[in-house]
Amino acid sequence: MPGSSRVLFHKPAQPRSRWVGQVLAVGLCLAIFLIDTLSPLDMAIAVLYGVVVLIASSWFRSTGLIVVGGGCVMLAVASFLVIHAQDYNLASVMRCVVSIAAITVTTLLCLRNEDATASLRDQAALLDLSHDAIFVRDPAGAVVYWNVGAERLYGWTREEALGQPADALLRSVLPAPLGEILRLLHATGQWEGEVIHTTRAGRKVTCISRWSLQRDDRGRTLGIMETNHDITERKRAENDLHRAQADLAHVTRVSTLGELTASIAHEVNQPLAAVVTNGEACLRWMRRPVPDLDEAEKSVTRMITNARRASEVIARLRALVRREEPARLPVDVADLVEDSVALLERELASHGVALVLRLAPGLPAIRGDRVQLQQVLINLALNAIQAMDAVPPEARTLTIRTGASPAPEGGGGIAIEVEDSGPGAEPDTLPSLFTPFVSTKKDGLGIGLSISRSIVEAHGGAIQAAPGSIGGLRLTVTLPAAGETPPHRVKEITS
Amino acid sequence: MPVFHVPLIAIIDDDEAVRLATESLVRSLGLGATVFESAEAFLGSAEREETVCVITDVQMPGMSGIDLQARLRTEGDMLPLIFITAFPEDRIRTQARAAGAVGFLAKPFAGEDMIRCIDDALQATGHARP
Repeated sequence: MPGSSRVLFHKPAQPRSRWVGQVLAVGLCLAIFLIDTLSPLDMAIAVLYGVVVLIASSWFRSTGLIVVGGGCVMLAVASFLVIHAQDYNLASVMRCVVSIAAITVTTLLCLRNEDATASLRDQAALLDLSHDAIFVRDPAGAVVYWNVGAERLYGWTREEALGQPADALLRSVLPAPLGEILRLLHATGQWEGEVIHTTRAGRKVTCISRWSLQRDDRGRTLGIMETNHDITERKRAENDLHRAQADLAHVTRVSTLGELTASIAHEVNQPLAAVVTNGEACLRWMRRPVPDLDEAEKSVTRMITNARRASEVIARLRALVRREEPARLPVDVADLVEDSVALLERELASHGVALVLRLAPGLPAIRGDRVQLQQVLINLALNAIQAMDAVPPEARTLTIRTGASPAPEGGGGIAIEVEDSGPGAEPDTLPSLFTPFVSTKKDGLGIGLSISRSIVEAHGGAIQAAPGSIGGLRLTVTLPAAGETPPHRVKEITS
Repeated sequence: MPVFHVPLIAIIDDDEAVRLATESLVRSLGLGATVFESAEAFLGSAEREETVCVITDVQMPGMSGIDLQARLRTEGDMLPLIFITAFPEDRIRTQARAAGAVGFLAKPFAGEDMIRCIDDALQATGHARP
């Protein structure tokens, strides 16, 4: 509706000034009547009633205008009758008719204008009914309209906000450079994104902001209408949930590590034992009557290798125990699998499980938190290893496969399959595997798989259980490739 | 037993790093050493007959160190065994000692302790370090 915005920006009359205006119009009417009737001037004073109607149009609605117009006509006729009761001539009659025509035409025009204004006023009132904060800025950025929702959300009244530069007033933090947003806005007529505004009280509010461009008939930009929907609370709840999930993930990770204590102690102790023994051997090679430097050197070389091996294990563990905000970084799938398996070597050996790795080369990286994803894989593999205790040792095989796969929400992705040769599960119990606190293990808490699922889903992925190809269970994790992550899954907001 | 013969010690551990380090330590004492990654490999080896002492890990995939000791004893082989383990559990220590183990050392072990165990084992079988 081109042009309408201009009317929307009008300051609607306040109730008090309106009453004053109405009295003024009536007073003016009487003044004109008195001059018209009592003054000796023989001219069309009554035409001035048109001015009264024009002034009244600001203060009266349709019915009031008709009354004012009608009243003016009657007063003009009354004056005519009083003055020309005895001696009316053609000229005076014509003057009276012209006056009446002028008043009538003015009234009709005003009525039509009032009609248009009323519909626009209704539309503006509708905008005030909206819970959203709506404002319009002119091409220079100054606020030209500010609804009740904006007053409520931001704390500035309409009077205070009008004329202010919107972005400076609200200290807007936009998700992209303004120039880029405007380019998009001019190209498509609208833009939508998450912005952060600061209220008068200094509170930061996060809004879903929808911008639309308003142009006149000739396509010139009149302004930009911003509809801002406050999602601060939702965002906070989302972040709280996110944090709670991260905490739970951390706790379950630590408890998973508890299950792995024996393996970990072994992983660290073994290279340390080698370091100590190599050191002892080295000393003895050197203290021989004829020192054997060749053997001593070999011992020292082995000491270095083993010390490195021990520190690598510790670095991997520290990463798992560290409590950090989940990151969203590119992760190589093969590295992820190999790092996870490295912590499980002893577990595999002590359960007599053979490991088969089938890692597809050249897979795209995924985007996510390496530690959390590693936790998922360790969890799945640990479950698989423990499940195979029920079958004879020669039949225990853990297979981990990676490959390209469509992501759950479309686009390219990868799949990681963890398959065991254990007793498997009844097909109808598969869905309940992911239910929290449902466990098939007698000492299991039953949150491993459910937390694994929330981690995977937070990465825009999915996890599914199916019967394995050799009788056991196969769990498949699908994740979107980096760059394919749907934007709404990315929790961090750029600020 | 010919005097020029260097006593041969078998080292059994599934971890290569520990295996090689222990082997180096044993050789630095002037003794002979052969390494095996499993108890099964040792039992089936040609060197078994010449071996005068076994240093073995306890926990290994397949036959454990304790299993090996039991197997040797049922065959009437009184070969002295020195156990090394990353998990020094009292139950296993008692079990090993009861079955006549010469030593039971937690990894990482001190060189002195290992040498004392080896000396004990050699003495028990009538050998000595060169």
